[in-house]
Amino acid sequence: MEGKTVLILCEKPTAAQRVAKALDVKGNPQKREIEGIPHYIADRDGKRLVVVAALGHLYTVAPSVKDRNVFPVFGFQWVPRYEVERDAKETQTWIDAVSKLANEAQEYILATDYDVEGATLGYTILRYACGDKEKEAKRMKFSTLTTGELEKSYRELSDHIEFPTVEAGICRHFLDGMYGINLSRAMTVAAKQWSGRYAVLSTGRVQGPTLKFLVSREKRISSFVPTPYWGIRARVEINGSVYEVEYERDVMESRDEAQAVVNECNGKKGKITEIEVRKFLQNPPVPFDLGSLQTEAYSLFRYTPRRTADIAERLYLDALISYPRTSSQKLPPIIGYRAILESLSREPKYGRLAPELLRRRDLVPREGKKQDPAHPSIYPTGNLPERSLSEPERRLWDLVVRRFMAVFGEPAVKQGVKASITVNGHRFFIRGRQTLKEGWIVFYRPFMRAEEIVLPPLKEGREIEFKEVLREDKFTKPPPRYNPSSLLRKMEDEGIGTKATRAGIIDTLYNRGYVSGERAVVSELGLDVIDILNRYCPEVISVEFTRELEESMERIQSGNEKRENVLSKAVTRLTPVLEELKKHEDTVGQDLSEAVRKARMQQRIVGDCPVCGTGKLMILFSRRTGKRFIGCTSFFKGICKASYPLPQKGSVKPAERSCRTCGSPMIRFKMQGKRPWTFCINPSCPSKEGRR
Amino acid sequence: MKCKICGRRTESELCKLHEEARRNLLKNYEAWKRSMSVSWEEYLREIQRNPFAGVWAKEVAQHLLVSGSANEQEGPAKDTEMNK
Repeated sequence: MEGKTVLILCEKPTAAQRVAKALDVKGNPQKREIEGIPHYIADRDGKRLVVVAALGHLYTVAPSVKDRNVFPVFGFQWVPRYEVERDAKETQTWIDAVSKLANEAQEYILATDYDVEGATLGYTILRYACGDKEKEAKRMKFSTLTTGELEKSYRELSDHIEFPTVEAGICRHFLDGMYGINLSRAMTVAAKQWSGRYAVLSTGRVQGPTLKFLVSREKRISSFVPTPYWGIRARVEINGSVYEVEYERDVMESRDEAQAVVNECNGKKGKITEIEVRKFLQNPPVPFDLGSLQTEAYSLFRYTPRRTADIAERLYLDALISYPRTSSQKLPPIIGYRAILESLSREPKYGRLAPELLRRRDLVPREGKKQDPAHPSIYPTGNLPERSLSEPERRLWDLVVRRFMAVFGEPAVKQGVKASITVNGHRFFIRGRQTLKEGWIVFYRPFMRAEEIVLPPLKEGREIEFKEVLREDKFTKPPPRYNPSSLLRKMEDEGIGTKATRAGIIDTLYNRGYVSGERAVVSELGLDVIDILNRYCPEVISVEFTRELEESMERIQSGNEKRENVLSKAVTRLTPVLEELKKHEDTVGQDLSEAVRKARMQQRIVGDCPVCGTGKLMILFSRRTGKRFIGCTSFFKGICKASYPLPQKGSVKPAERSCRTCGSPMIRFKMQGKRPWTFCINPSCPSKEGRR
Repeated sequence: MKCKICGRRTESELCKLHEEARRNLLKNYEAWKRSMSVSWEEYLREIQRNPFAGVWAKEVAQHLLVSGSANEQEGPAKDTEMNK
């Protein structure tokens, strides 16, 4: 091969392989390695294309002062990740390989994901690993990894990389570093100064306000006092079938009042006094953006937002769906609706559905309001899987395909019936709902949850027999807890974080021990961290402030703001906050140390003591022998002497569940290199009889 | 001073979190009394058992029962006045 050598830089190895395959004239690029780092050599238009991948970010923002006890630090710079992150050693070989390939190239093309992160990581590699090649590099823009789109994007290269987007990305990294590092250092140092013990305490520009949402909800739930009210549950019989009916009032504040309704209606016959029939159209759903895909996948399959994003990323790298990190709900015609549907019709399960749409003269999708300048909404590329997909991958792909078809469907026609039944002066309602014409539901049926209630023909004046009328004793309920999906939606609604970072921030809150469980329960540590930040630096957990910074970054991306201005404003606002924290270092340290101590104690609580019923069973260490065991906290009050032995080697953690046989708490025991073992702490548990 | 229930630092008997729960307990007693005709002590016991009551509300109910504030004359009447 002769001619110029062109280095094409992708974001992930799988993407590099696809790009090389798509661009090689024979569709068969050569795979080579430098120190185990794969790259591909392709031949096209007389040029030698060297396609290499990054491994996500190879560079990161690090403070100029490395000493973790020093803050504030406002000097930040890009450094190779292997220099500052313990688990990023492999990035050194990767950077060396990219540098070597860059030295041999005469032209450079950036083919990373077309978004803020993709542009930023590409920029840092072009600048630092390739030797200031960011200004001469061209850009491939694509939303799918299909051969057709990759070839087109190579033919229509942009002359340069998207510098305003890069500026916004750099600004985000610097702001996150500035806030995260300074505030986390301030908290960690304060706690260490007070207690002499090191504990990882963190907060950040988005993490703080997100935790604040959770804390605010936790406070409402934990201090909630229910009030009693009463309702009526009734059933009627029509043509031999039994139907639930609603009483005209949902809430009655007195038991006697509710009982009076029961006495006056039970076993009586009522009469239908009014029938309302309403036909209405239910429009098709709009295409998926990342947030709505994450919400739907959580609601249908209970996948966390992070898991959905990861699965969607794999499907994208397999060229099965378009780029998932999008906030668009638009489907431009340029993606080729018909070609996609024709390809999908080759898959047996869509073999009947896709042709149904193809028979139409016009295909017009129902679109949502949200737009994304970089990518359309998430849609199937039309490619069929080349490998056997895992169950979660198959489910998510099916969801994306069916949603894509559904948006082209006709509105569903539904009918609602509401009949009023009067008995002894009381009014009840019977409701029915039924689909008259399925429309788009045909395509989305496996994911539909609405239940149909088909009523028999009803006529005004008809007598209806009340089979059962019951008084229901009820209580008002606290607001629901956030789950990972509703929290993500809340972050979206409040405009904090980005589609690419929100799921990760939620994960961090869990990893730091601020939150636990699927129904997010805030720990004592999470409550205390927010309480302390609220007392000494409320601005850093203010949603408005975080949103303001997000808007500034959007302005940078659209070329209406300068990165330097935003960073300088951030320094001006952060400096007094950090000074305030430093001024109160003792008090903050004491409060945080106490919170960490309590959190550590909490982690040792195994469950309630079955002997005294008031204390908690806890993992303790004998002062005399140093041996560990489980004892009751009431021992220190002289009330209870319950104790249970523990293995002296390996790690022991509460399993957070009770034994099915005897009801005692269970613990999880793990020896290095062995499988974890969960067992009941009670040595006399009948479940252990066979082992004795 | 430490919160009598959780040990958090506070300037009064209870920390802010438990104080809020106590206020809710006082506020909702009237509704319970009106609809269930329960005494203050019975009310606190009901709250302790209720699955929808928050954990801090239950802790305050327990605290009031143990500390003797469960007496209706001493408990809500005085506190409600204070609350106003």
